[in-house]
Amino acid sequence: MKKAIHYINQFFAGIGGEEKADYKPEIREGLVGPAIALNSILEAEVTHTIICGDNFMGSNTDEAVNTILGFLEDKEFDIFVAGPAFQAGRYGVACGTICKAVKERFNVPAITSMNVENPGVEMFKKGIYIFEGGKSAAKMREDVKTMANFANKILKGEKTGPADEEGFFPRGIRAEMWLKSGKTAAERGVEMLVKKLNDQPFETELPIPKQDRVPIAPPIKDLSKANIAMVTTGGIVPVDNPDRIQSASATRWGRYDISKIDRLESGVYKTIHAGFDPAAADADPNIIMPIDAMKAYLKEGKIGKLHDYFYSTVGTGTTQAEAARMGKEMVGKLREDNVDGVIMTST
Amino acid sequence: MVKEIERAGIPVVQMCNLIPVATTVGSNKIVPTISIPYPLGDPDTSKEQQWKLRYHRVGVALDALTEDVKEQTVFKVKI
Amino acid sequence: MKLEIGNFQVKDVVFGDKTMFKNGILTINKEEAMDFIKEDEHIIDLDIVIAKPGENIRIVPVKEAVEPRIRPDERSVFPGITGDVEATGSGRVHALKGCSVLGVGMHYGSFGDGLIDMGGDGAKYTLFSELINICIVAHTDEEFERFEQQKKNRAIRWATHRFAEYLGNTVKSLEPEEIETFELDPITKRTEEINKFPSVVLVMQPQSQMEELGYNDLVYGWDMNKYVPSFMHPNEVLDGALISGSFMPASSKWSTYDFQNFPTIRELYEEHGKSINFLGVIMSNLNVSLEQKRRSAIFVAQMAKSLGADGAIVTEEGYGNPDADYILCIAALEEAGVKTVGISNECTGRDGASQPLVTLDEKANALVSTGNVSQLIELPPAEKVIGELQALARDGLSGGWAYDEILGPSVREDGSIIMENNAMFCGDRIAGWSTKTMKEF
Repeated sequence: MKKAIHYINQFFAGIGGEEKADYKPEIREGLVGPAIALNSILEAEVTHTIICGDNFMGSNTDEAVNTILGFLEDKEFDIFVAGPAFQAGRYGVACGTICKAVKERFNVPAITSMNVENPGVEMFKKGIYIFEGGKSAAKMREDVKTMANFANKILKGEKTGPADEEGFFPRGIRAEMWLKSGKTAAERGVEMLVKKLNDQPFETELPIPKQDRVPIAPPIKDLSKANIAMVTTGGIVPVDNPDRIQSASATRWGRYDISKIDRLESGVYKTIHAGFDPAAADADPNIIMPIDAMKAYLKEGKIGKLHDYFYSTVGTGTTQAEAARMGKEMVGKLREDNVDGVIMTST
Repeated sequence: MVKEIERAGIPVVQMCNLIPVATTVGSNKIVPTISIPYPLGDPDTSKEQQWKLRYHRVGVALDALTEDVKEQTVFKVKI
Repeated sequence: MKLEIGNFQVKDVVFGDKTMFKNGILTINKEEAMDFIKEDEHIIDLDIVIAKPGENIRIVPVKEAVEPRIRPDERSVFPGITGDVEATGSGRVHALKGCSVLGVGMHYGSFGDGLIDMGGDGAKYTLFSELINICIVAHTDEEFERFEQQKKNRAIRWATHRFAEYLGNTVKSLEPEEIETFELDPITKRTEEINKFPSVVLVMQPQSQMEELGYNDLVYGWDMNKYVPSFMHPNEVLDGALISGSFMPASSKWSTYDFQNFPTIRELYEEHGKSINFLGVIMSNLNVSLEQKRRSAIFVAQMAKSLGADGAIVTEEGYGNPDADYILCIAALEEAGVKTVGISNECTGRDGASQPLVTLDEKANALVSTGNVSQLIELPPAEKVIGELQALARDGLSGGWAYDEILGPSVREDGSIIMENNAMFCGDRIAGWSTKTMKEF
């Protein structure tokens, strides 16, 4: 039989309320509190219950997490369940924290449940399964059941459905799915339009997500002393593409020495970007990666230094996760040379 | 990618044609280019015109690195 | 304008002595057919192979798909391609249903080419797995683009159109089993009963982004890179005025077969007089500079407004930067007071966590999603390959690769494959066939 471990707080373990919220992590063999209900529905044996005070987890997060991960090091388990936390903010955050840590360390599915108002939802929904739960412990039975039903699907290796069908908060992962209704895009589109025209409620299949903003970096004070680096997503590379950067959905990037050249010559550099007609850039790569103009500004003294390499990858179809990773890797190199500012050209 | 550079505290200017894409992905300093396949030099114009345009717009981008902006800004170009 | 499509259901396709259609069986004299296709001297090696639904067959690199058709009145099926430029969209055309002519590279593929599995799990992606495919497998003398990632594929594409018409000849003088009628009165001459419904236009954005001619979709034989948005009758689209190009990643493509059967047009016809007044099609384009994209959105919104459209459906043949054309157009229509729905696919990356379209706008609040171009697809070997399997990995198909440190090459030694949906031929069925959607997981 498969095995599960359940995390709960000091209150649901029956240890005490607010006055016991500093309770240190503890692991007990067998079932405590909500673990009994979970064990009765789950098609796995709940072998251990972990208990931790909400304040302890909140104020000594690293210690709490490390202690619990230490408890789990020698245990066998196929799934990790925390809560349900209802609307209890600190408990919700604790469930999210520990689920995320356990998932990352042991790569087992981690499941919890909380109310939509719980701050833990926004903080952790991207990484783990958080089921939409009730406001208070009156919903204990239902919330445990929802988690257990989903856990059972995972344990049996069944295909799990989308967030809205299963009842967990969307994790920011969009994937394709064949509709059971068999309704075609044409039928759905016309139906949606007729509803929109008649001011009836309709549901878009692609809700426009909110944007994630980054604070604006402080400006360069004296350009004539600054070290500037050039980056492109336009796929300009030496003609033999030494880093084998893909022409779409790139996962690789390269950097190429420009310290001894005044411009990028045709026949020496080209674009491998497949998303547009490459003729113009192959004839003159500077129209995408303007090394010639930068060298002119360097000679004039407008900038103090041009970083010895330009950086290149392909933007089309590249996932944000890959782009972020590549960006971080580039930043590492840029920092080594104390680069003060970056110009990035995109196609 | 722009965001990772900016997140590291290094000012960055994105030169691109599709301003709506740059604003959607969260670039803060944007200098427009003329098209997707040839951002900085229209092959139907003379080499000299292409150079003038490229030199000008790269210059605008360099100056943009020194600008203290408070929100997403698209810098104006003359040619 | 009134178009009659006379349908002949094809139950089987076989080779035989005489090219003819009888009792649902399309028989092809292979030798004569080969001679006909080879009239184009650029085709230097050729085979014709038939692939049927359920067979353990993989077809790659597929460049084009066309429904065999003919006009009893001698006009060409694809004006400007297979004959003189003449108006389409009215009169009678005969169609061989349930089959398609595929243009397949005997060896070489290109960026926009795709793959079709006739059986197994891979068959769920594309409509063409459900059709009997008459494959033109050809090698050409187009040396200038032999090793280019972007190919015009002119000889093979034109062969599919010519051959589709050639096969159509078998039903030229036969009486159709069924006649479908597509008719709209002129906009200003419609009855009160029709006019009481909200007026709707379909805005189509066919692929036209290659500035060098020869890669883009064509309208009446005209390269759509040199085209500005204009008003067309939906019948023209259904009746061969447009043919597909050779640039867009396969899963986001509209093949000529898609144009001939465009489901979104058919659905709007279906609702015409029931819940809407279908005004017609604003045929737009896709562009490579923001200025061009804006200009097209202005043209489209103005036309929709002047035509009195209350609603619109916008659909794009593409993803990536074409999303900017798509979203700009939807936003421009909404700003003009036209209630708009969009139909397209998404690119959320192999991990599903990326921004679904490259530009977003809150005005685009009614979107239909048909799939994820970068969904990874892994499929076992097929018993038989039509074309050349290595093309998927070697030739820069948008969803294939020769090398990947984690996933390995797209084509493995045992013939199994791993690829992105990008390389599935018309895999997202954006013309409106798609029963796929995108969901949060």
